Amino acid sequence: MALENPVPGGGARPPQPCVLVIFGGDGHLSWSKLLPAVYNLNVDGVLPSHFAVVCFGLPSTEAGTKAADPDAYLRDRAKDGIQRFSRQPLNPGHWEDFARSLFFVPGSFGDAAAYEKLKARLKTVEAQFGIPGSRVYYLAVPPGLVAASVSHLRDAGLVSGPDEQRAFSRVIVEKPIGRDLKSAREVIQNVAAAFAEGQTYRIDHYLGKETVQNLLVLRFANSIFEPLWNQKYIDHVQITVAEEEGISNFDEDGKMTSSRVGYYEGVGALRDMVQNHMLQVLCIVAMEPPHSLEPDVVRDAKVNVLHCLRPMRPGTIKENVVRAQYIEGYEHGRRVKGYRHEVRQYFEEFVKKPIPPESVHSATETYVALRAFVDNWRWAGVPFYLRTGKRLPKRASEVAIQFKEVPQVLFNANPETPLEPTVLTLRVQPEEGLAMRLVSKLPGPKVRFYPVKMEFNYISAFGRSSPEAYERLILDVMAGDATNFMRADAVETAWKFVVPILEYWERERARDLPEYQCGTWGPIEADRLIERDGRTWRTL
Amino acid sequence: MSSATALPAPIPLSKIEQELGQQVREAQGAGEEPVQRVRMSNLVVYCDDEARATEIAAQVPEIVAVHPARVLLLIGDPSGPDGPVTATTSVCCHRLRADRQACSEVVTLRAGGSAVETLHFAARSLVIGDLPMNLWWAGKEPPGLAGTLLYNLAENAQQIIYDSIGWVDPAHGVSTTAAWLEHAERTTASRWRVASDLNWRRLKYWRRLLSQALDPGSAPGAAEAVSVVVVEHGPHAVVQAWELISWLAQQLDWSVQTGKVQPNVEIDWDFASPTRPVRVRVRRLESGPPWIHLVRLESQLSDKPAALNVLRESEERLSITLEGVPSEPRTMTIPPQSPAELVGRQLSDRERDPVFRDSMAVARLLAETLFSY
Repeated sequence: MALENPVPGGGARPPQPCVLVIFGGDGHLSWSKLLPAVYNLNVDGVLPSHFAVVCFGLPSTEAGTKAADPDAYLRDRAKDGIQRFSRQPLNPGHWEDFARSLFFVPGSFGDAAAYEKLKARLKTVEAQFGIPGSRVYYLAVPPGLVAASVSHLRDAGLVSGPDEQRAFSRVIVEKPIGRDLKSAREVIQNVAAAFAEGQTYRIDHYLGKETVQNLLVLRFANSIFEPLWNQKYIDHVQITVAEEEGISNFDEDGKMTSSRVGYYEGVGALRDMVQNHMLQVLCIVAMEPPHSLEPDVVRDAKVNVLHCLRPMRPGTIKENVVRAQYIEGYEHGRRVKGYRHEVRQYFEEFVKKPIPPESVHSATETYVALRAFVDNWRWAGVPFYLRTGKRLPKRASEVAIQFKEVPQVLFNANPETPLEPTVLTLRVQPEEGLAMRLVSKLPGPKVRFYPVKMEFNYISAFGRSSPEAYERLILDVMAGDATNFMRADAVETAWKFVVPILEYWERERARDLPEYQCGTWGPIEADRLIERDGRTWRTL
Repeated sequence: MSSATALPAPIPLSKIEQELGQQVREAQGAGEEPVQRVRMSNLVVYCDDEARATEIAAQVPEIVAVHPARVLLLIGDPSGPDGPVTATTSVCCHRLRADRQACSEVVTLRAGGSAVETLHFAARSLVIGDLPMNLWWAGKEPPGLAGTLLYNLAENAQQIIYDSIGWVDPAHGVSTTAAWLEHAERTTASRWRVASDLNWRRLKYWRRLLSQALDPGSAPGAAEAVSVVVVEHGPHAVVQAWELISWLAQQLDWSVQTGKVQPNVEIDWDFASPTRPVRVRVRRLESGPPWIHLVRLESQLSDKPAALNVLRESEERLSITLEGVPSEPRTMTIPPQSPAELVGRQLSDRERDPVFRDSMAVARLLAETLFSY
């Protein structure tokens, strides 16, 4: 089964023989996403014939710490992750083949000696698999460890030059890229000290989603959409990333079983979701047609959208941006706790540390809604409404393009029964696909209207599940295709858009922090934000 | 032909979509095309009585055959013990052709005690976006008395359907519901809502026949000359009769003067029409189906006293005769009016009905005359 990338690059350039070196190789991201993704690529037969995975880092589990044979430990851990999370079930034949190419080098990211061990192991593995010294380093590590990791890689002679084609070195950097413009520049510079921009792949897994990829195809491979894709015909755009989960998980007795408070507290939804995923999706929706599908041509088109975003000024933030935090409510019929309660419990019971003073009355937003404008010829006056939140009623991410109403004559003449507008929806998750809502006549002698939904669903249409985003993106890096990765200037420009909001909030602290109950669609203030324009949030 | 699968065991709420997917796959017969999920809207039904829930569950296949929908049947037992909301799922399939079936999904949620007030949280996560949402309020209380539960459930509903048949206290039910209606329907630039009473839908053919009988073209002056109206109805149909009188009064510009009630026997109202006083008697029959059996109008035709009798001859037919004049009765066919049929048709009928709204305003005035009595 071929994993074809509709955007030339991933499909046009074959992945090259290499070793995938995963930093934090038995950690949560690797266990739940990366190793299952690589396994699926193996099952689909799209990995290079000369390929291996070497995981690096201190074991994150007790079993790993005690393991006498690190490779065997990693294989068990990978097998467990694949059984739990893989898109395709574990097949014993494929697994054996895959497991032979998995290795683990235990070591601390800050320890120069560990890199020498890694270097030696890489040479052995490359010799064993006939790999010409090409390496993809996947930094699945906390942001604070990126600088040390890349400098040790460079110092250990593990990074080849940017022009090296046969034994290339590429690095994948996970978000967040900084927590503001200044720190983002630091991260970019730290990585740049070891890897050239052409070797650096800043991953945003949303860009690997099938529907996000399909946005380009939909727009530029169908004749009906692009002529309508502008302010003349589009009323507004809504981009929603709704998450059902909160920051922490609890067992039946209310005991915290896992938590991301350590990461999330002080970060919030604007940094976590809007600055990267949502603005990147907005760019694909709003970009001008690129003149080719070369990575930098597409990335230029996307960054141009960011340049056109109307800057948020202190005087306009209040009317254009709403933040909020979840309080106690319901999820799947169960009562769930509010964010501040989670923060307190995290510090007092989970990590058993004193709660930092700024977290006692945490002002971290778990919800953001904003209205943005792309001030260019195509989008003049068309609002882009973005909203994202935790503990919303369901997990659902989509882009909805709402077209302008038909004139209020003929079928739309009666204000008592307004026609529902035409909406094109691109569903990113849970079931990737797209839908078009149209108005149709109800069968019968009277002329009565009813909204109908024409749906396209990837699984129904193609009879198999779409590749996970990580599968596609890892493959793209092996192929040297940077189309779906954020360039440094895009990261910086996105930060330039959100930093004024962060600074405004910092000044306001908790003075202007609305709340919403878990299991609702957000605070009333968010409804007002869009209702002021005579529109409403879509029901997902 | 529709069929509902047997009620399966409760499942965690987080597994509902997965379970529905499994049931849809299992419904596919050997050699058949995949079962197609069909839905024109979301139908959220709330009831607070297990017996009523059983009735509604039995009606669901018929409803979704008329109007395919994702059905969320919410069963609340406010006086029951507190406990988590539980869920079961089923699919209602009907055959489109030999090798192809379509199905509607049914999710049943049960809650007791204080958990009833949280049902809207569960419902919110299960509705399908981009499809109209209808709420069928089948609780014991009239919507005007239902309070926050209805308010919360109706959050995103474009239509609220209720049935005034069998209200225990018709005067309070009509009065509070008429007041509620004024607030329930609201319009903004892009969100609107209608409220619909199934009893009003039942009256559709009565209203049509009476309009034709009093039409100035065929009976000049008859409408203005109505002086006595007698309505006879079966048990549980008093609100139906009430709404019919309200409609007549609204259409003929009568203003109510006084009213009195003998509970479960008769309600009398005196009206002033532009030309004369009008006496209305609404009488309850001791037995019979819960519908209006007879409407008798005393009026004048060609300046002579005349009486029109509109009679429900059978479940499917209304007839109208001129009293004392031997002639063939004029008849009108009534399409099936089972609750399922009424709900199914109402789901597609989302237009505001200003006549209903105005009639209910009159109905409220009629109720007030009884409170003062």
